[in-house]
Amino acid sequence: MAVLLLAPNLILLVVFTYRPLLDNIRLSFTNWNISSPTAQYIGFDNYVEWAGRPDSWKILGITLVFTVATVAGSMVIGLVMALVLDQNLRGRGLVRSLVFAPYVISGAAIGVAFQFVFDPRFGMIQDLLARVGLDSPNFYQDPDWALFMVTSTYIWKNVGYVFVIYLAALQGRRIELDEAAQIDGTGPFRHFFRIVLPQLRPTTFFLSVTVLLSSVQVFDIINVMTRGGPMGNGTTTMVYQIYQETFVNSRAGYGATVATIMFVILLVITVIQVRFQDQKD
Amino acid sequence: MMTRLSARRLMTGAATLSIAALALTACAGTGGAPTSEAADTGSAEKIVFWSNHPGSSKDIEEEIIAEWNEENPDTPVELVDAGANYEEVAQKFNASLAGGDLPDVVVASDVNWFNFAMNDNFAEMGPLWESQDVESDDLVDTLRDDYEFNDEHWAMPYARSTNLMYVNDQIFEEAGLPAEGFETWQDFAEAAPALKEVTGDDPVLVIPDGSNYLDWYFQGMIWTFGGAYSEDWTATFTQPESIEAGEFLQEMVQEGYIEISNDAVNTFGVGSAGALLESTGSLGGLEETAAMDFTTVYLPGPTPGAATGGAGLAIPSGISEERQANAVRFIDFLTNTDNTVKFSQATGYMPVRKSALEHPDEVAFLEENPNAMTAIEQLNENTQPQDAARVLVQGGGARIGGALDEITTGGADVTEVFTRLEEETQEIIDRDIKPKLDQQ
Amino acid sequence: MARSTLFASKPSVTPGTLFGYASMVVIAAIVLVPIAFILLTSLKERPDIYTEPVQWIPDPFTAENYATVIDDVPFIRYFLNSLLITTVLTVVQVVLGIITAFALVFLHYPGRRIVFLFVIASLMVPNQVTVISNYALVAELSWRNTFAGIIIPLAGVAFGTFLMRNHFASLPREIVESAHLDGTGPFRLLFRILLPMSWPTVVAFTLITIVTEWNQYLWPFLMADTASVAPLPVGLTLLQNNEGSTNWGPVMAGTILTMIPILIVFLILQKQMIKGLTAGAVKG
Repeated sequence: MAVLLLAPNLILLVVFTYRPLLDNIRLSFTNWNISSPTAQYIGFDNYVEWAGRPDSWKILGITLVFTVATVAGSMVIGLVMALVLDQNLRGRGLVRSLVFAPYVISGAAIGVAFQFVFDPRFGMIQDLLARVGLDSPNFYQDPDWALFMVTSTYIWKNVGYVFVIYLAALQGRRIELDEAAQIDGTGPFRHFFRIVLPQLRPTTFFLSVTVLLSSVQVFDIINVMTRGGPMGNGTTTMVYQIYQETFVNSRAGYGATVATIMFVILLVITVIQVRFQDQKD
Repeated sequence: MMTRLSARRLMTGAATLSIAALALTACAGTGGAPTSEAADTGSAEKIVFWSNHPGSSKDIEEEIIAEWNEENPDTPVELVDAGANYEEVAQKFNASLAGGDLPDVVVASDVNWFNFAMNDNFAEMGPLWESQDVESDDLVDTLRDDYEFNDEHWAMPYARSTNLMYVNDQIFEEAGLPAEGFETWQDFAEAAPALKEVTGDDPVLVIPDGSNYLDWYFQGMIWTFGGAYSEDWTATFTQPESIEAGEFLQEMVQEGYIEISNDAVNTFGVGSAGALLESTGSLGGLEETAAMDFTTVYLPGPTPGAATGGAGLAIPSGISEERQANAVRFIDFLTNTDNTVKFSQATGYMPVRKSALEHPDEVAFLEENPNAMTAIEQLNENTQPQDAARVLVQGGGARIGGALDEITTGGADVTEVFTRLEEETQEIIDRDIKPKLDQQ
Repeated sequence: MARSTLFASKPSVTPGTLFGYASMVVIAAIVLVPIAFILLTSLKERPDIYTEPVQWIPDPFTAENYATVIDDVPFIRYFLNSLLITTVLTVVQVVLGIITAFALVFLHYPGRRIVFLFVIASLMVPNQVTVISNYALVAELSWRNTFAGIIIPLAGVAFGTFLMRNHFASLPREIVESAHLDGTGPFRLLFRILLPMSWPTVVAFTLITIVTEWNQYLWPFLMADTASVAPLPVGLTLLQNNEGSTNWGPVMAGTILTMIPILIVFLILQKQMIKGLTAGAVKG
């Protein structure tokens, strides 16, 4: 019975995700040039190179900043939006769609639309700052501001996802507890922290895992807005590095190494998250 | 509900699963890359053409293909949308190299073709030209020889561009300068203060940043100082002339004369810069959108001061000889005199045939469009093939672009940045390229 | 039918609801501005897209960009392809996600947790890593340029399995136990008891899946050679220029046209979230 139910999905995952992953791990021990029909096994050379290269650590740091900021940012904002739009307000259906809309837009369109937000010449921020006599930071050429730009853009896009999942959880909550709280006359903030948030904990756990895994893999927005620049790798995250090494620099073996390292890091983090959640249960 | 999981058990579980999956992979066959050369399963009864339609050329490509299909009903061409840009075409072609289903003709950009040629993924053109009577002498020499390596040609020029200087007529007039461009970059530096008085807070010249191919525009500038990115297979960023060019660019940026921009075309287009360095490919767009009159001029010399770019057409080596013969006949047709005239007029790319320049339609067109003429004249007088460190070394463009960002907007020390750049570039050449060259 | 809310239970005017409306307006504004820019750009003539200072309101308004999208690109063809691919993938993934999650929570067998970890871990593999290998496999099967080649490799579901498993695990145990006592079979348990209590989550799962599949780019791009199977995101790249300057008007128009169907689906489905809750509450 269990086998029957599990088999179709697991087979698909094994064939189309795990088989390529293992292939990838195998290739990480080679010097494969993506266009070459052959490759030599070179042991741990790629891993040694990775550990010794300064850009590896820089990119790891950028990935960390980007990921932590997007996970925290989109989860807090998404939860607030879900709480507001969970209420019985007129017009909430439309506003809900609106909040969801950025999640639907393609990376290419977002890149252009946000040029009109961030561009130091054509952008809205520049316009607003100029009104109060301030100069706009150069979001495209200062690496720190560029990272801020892609991070906030991704949060804007991803909030719709967090919002929908939280909204579903709020809608599916057991109501009795709220009613009990109302009888007790608990204030709204106390109510939120004492009753709502604990009820949402499985959802929060789920989101912390999935948002982390999806923001680590952001590609479109970076590719369209900065191509990993400025200064060469100012907004290069690990997935962008994998793409760059594999398909632009043609060093598919080294790209596979970065991918394997990233997989291991994510696996460890997720195991810790899962364990943390279990301890609380 | 969930029972407790210990980290140890999870890890053991993960290990068990990996082994299980590994076993499954072994059963499922390789399926992955790199494999032995994928068998050629394609049919010689059609010609599959992978294009990203450079310069929004899908319509004109279809028109030319329709003509071909009428004349060659036995070998019709199937046009495939193979990507939004050159990088995507290369990605798709790489996938087909590993997995099969090779096309007959594929677009390859100036920075992509070499890695394919070096790995013998492209067929040599010489023997095909000979067997199919292609007049390769009629191809514009510089453009044809851009694809030369090991005394052999690996692609044919197709959508070829060069960089141009676009000049804002009004700003130059107000500064009392003719809209003619500059003999040298020193002349530019001398004229810059007068232009700056007109532009005020805006820059005299705007150039795309390192994420938008600053490395391509700087290629010409570094030559005019006597420097280069590389000579043969030796990186030459730290030779004094190269450093001087870098310091010149840095100084111009710091003085506010040159601006490095994420959106140079539109900055110029709205009239916020005296001049612009951009590809010939932007000519059509600017003519449609620019808020003012502008003129295209050569990049400053001494000659050569500009690089060529764009893309060519190549034929995979992994397809049958019959398919290769069909493919080269089709490329020859696609770039014959009449079609070159059509294509270059529709897209703004340069004509790749010498004979096209004498074609009456082209002569008339160029008379009416002097801005298009600039590129063609400059091609003969002010260009040479790019340095290996940018176009042949994998990832060279992005690497140099990032370094140029550092010295311009980042204000970093030129010698320091160029020294690191030289070391990185040389390391890649020695590790990834030289061993392959030695094999051949 | 009183809806539970955080701040108030009746839609009467209280400080809570006023605060709610104010927050709603702020949220709408933040989200709206960039979207408004996309919409307004899609209605501008080309020279008006970049101006200094920035011109927000198109002058004149033009629908020409929309005409360009429909005329220059076989839009309807791509749209239908997208519709087919998304529908099939969504149905398959929602079904697979629910039954996998069910088996992970309510059935007993050894290695259950490992299977769960196995599912989650597949979310850690970026598609840049899988495409080359999968391309080779699909090409070997001669599935390139077919719907099967696009759909099947994308059909495995990890995200939804995780979401549904998490939800099932949070349901009150007593319900399941009483069902067992009544001798309810597993299918009856799933369809009669569990799913009616789970509509909001199933709807969220469906919505996220629709969006993900509707926007798939890299894989369909590698698989599809012709308009006969390529979905919208692949088709619309034709509007971008490769070298030189893209005319962004049609690209933005294409984006709006791609987005609208999904937002309509969202508007319809988000209402189901509430209905689902009340139905579930009655049963429970």
